[in-house]
Amino acid sequence: MMTPTRLLFATALLSLFVGCGKSDKPATDKPRVALVMKSLANEFFQTMAEGAKKHQAQHAAEYELVVNGIKNETDLAEQVGLVEQMVAQGVQAIVIAPADSKALIPALKRAQAAGVLIINIDNKLDPDTLSQAGLTAPFVGPDNRAGAKAVGEVLAKQLKAGDEVAILEGVTTAFNSQQRRAGFEDAMNAAGMKIVTVQSGQWEMEKANGVAAGILAANPNVKALLCANDNMAIGAAAAVQAAGKTGQVKIVGFDNIAALKPLIAEGRVLATADQHGDLLAVFGIEAALKVLKDKATPADQQTPVDVVVE
Amino acid sequence: MLRRHSEYLILLAVLTTMVLLFGLLRDSFFSAATLGSVANRIPALALVATGMTLVMITGGIDLSVGSLVGFCGAAVGVAMADWHWGLALALVGSMLLGGLVGSTTGAVSVKLGLPSFIVSLGMLEIARGLAFLSTNSQTKYIGTSIEALGAPIGGWVLSPAFFISVVVVIAGQILLSHTALGRHWIAIGANREAALISGVPVDRPRILAHGLLGALTGLAAVFNCSRLGSADPNAGVGFELSAIAAVVVGGTSLMGGRGSVVKSFFGVLIIATLEAGLVQIGASEPMKRVITGAVIIAAVLADTWRRK
Repeated sequence: MMTPTRLLFATALLSLFVGCGKSDKPATDKPRVALVMKSLANEFFQTMAEGAKKHQAQHAAEYELVVNGIKNETDLAEQVGLVEQMVAQGVQAIVIAPADSKALIPALKRAQAAGVLIINIDNKLDPDTLSQAGLTAPFVGPDNRAGAKAVGEVLAKQLKAGDEVAILEGVTTAFNSQQRRAGFEDAMNAAGMKIVTVQSGQWEMEKANGVAAGILAANPNVKALLCANDNMAIGAAAAVQAAGKTGQVKIVGFDNIAALKPLIAEGRVLATADQHGDLLAVFGIEAALKVLKDKATPADQQTPVDVVVE
Repeated sequence: MLRRHSEYLILLAVLTTMVLLFGLLRDSFFSAATLGSVANRIPALALVATGMTLVMITGGIDLSVGSLVGFCGAAVGVAMADWHWGLALALVGSMLLGGLVGSTTGAVSVKLGLPSFIVSLGMLEIARGLAFLSTNSQTKYIGTSIEALGAPIGGWVLSPAFFISVVVVIAGQILLSHTALGRHWIAIGANREAALISGVPVDRPRILAHGLLGALTGLAAVFNCSRLGSADPNAGVGFELSAIAAVVVGGTSLMGGRGSVVKSFFGVLIIATLEAGLVQIGASEPMKRVITGAVIIAAVLADTWRRK
């Protein structure tokens, strides 16, 4: 355990030095790509950022990478500030996981006006607001709705038509959460299940645990809980166990985080979706490099989502 | 004596009204499953509310307890999942770690004469950062080795964690109302200058209260992990507000000098019942927040009216 901790400190220190160093100006004509993330304290974005750093290390001759994240996932002002700093630093492209699908658009529009290529990953920018603002920012990423639907279909095979199910969504304003909820609803409605309630677990394990316990108490006939991320699925699994209903209430999640693997192996969680978190930023960076190199017109690009079962 | 009883009556009335209302809105509310889900929510909050009551009686506050639940939980996760520590050792370690962090907050605040509000606000950031650093921002899966603590005894609704928290509440009340230390806390909170002049030690009891709160928060973190079988470095965000709400609903003064651990426990029951009830009636997330806020204000108002 000492080693990863040390590594983290070393990385943090190193990035401090790099950040403060005088060698900021590009020494060569390699393009500089900025990756602007949501919270790097979140496992999902951390994995994404590490995948990007690994990719850059393997392609060090082709581009330089600057990785930035915000402290708190809902701190929009901080992310707008990061975008502005990246423009001031003179990067050629910004690959961004926007903390909000609308509020970041003005800042990105200014960046584009300054000649910076914008690629949108993770959380899709709102199409209407984009066209209103006259900003082109291709979305490179997975279809969350299709992924959630695929997970829901695996679940539906284990249930019979008319069974009661409940959905735990994430933060209700997040586009990802809305898409996953819609995907779950698509699959459940198609299979003739009865969705008795949809409630928010705020993406958090502990909140989801309390909400799931309440749902189980209020709806004794619920046969499945569909959770919009794995942290909430872990919380729900604990609630099912506490209610003495392990095996009777099926659970599915989304993201395929490491902590969920034992639960899937034990059969306490049926399935989850893997959107290849470590490659999500890489896909965006590759798209940016391609546009910069070939002077191609940027276009939306869909990346794979796989269903993981035991 | 009558006056003291009337304080409990108000809290009991609020609680009963809520239970009846939820029961009316949803048949399933009166069930063992509901009782179990409420009883599961109580232990961690009751422990932190007990410690918070003591700190608030001395006129202090600690905003870092939510982050500390995250940090101590993270430490438990690393210790048990990566280092294969046993539960007993991890539990003691978590309480020591929490006690150390809490005492540090208390000592910096008391010895350097800074408001505990500010010092603990700083500690809120530090502890959360350490939670992420120590787990590398990853959820740790601990598994069955920790689950027994939060699981119902003999399959019935109440867990060991629940009974431990009740014992802690009783012990906290005895400490407050039947020991010299408790009298010192109240004297310090009521009027620190007067306490100092009359020879009451004012520094060490305050640091001790923060240390106790920290240790209880460490225990709460273990209970949290045991309920989930996992340690989440994001755990406990906003938990400080639930704890402070429970304490204030129980009638403890934010100004210090007055309060009761048992009444804070009633505050915990009210908050936990409200959470469970709102989920069961299917209230939307925004409505949950609006109603929770309104109930907190109403409960404090009821207490204030009674006092007049």
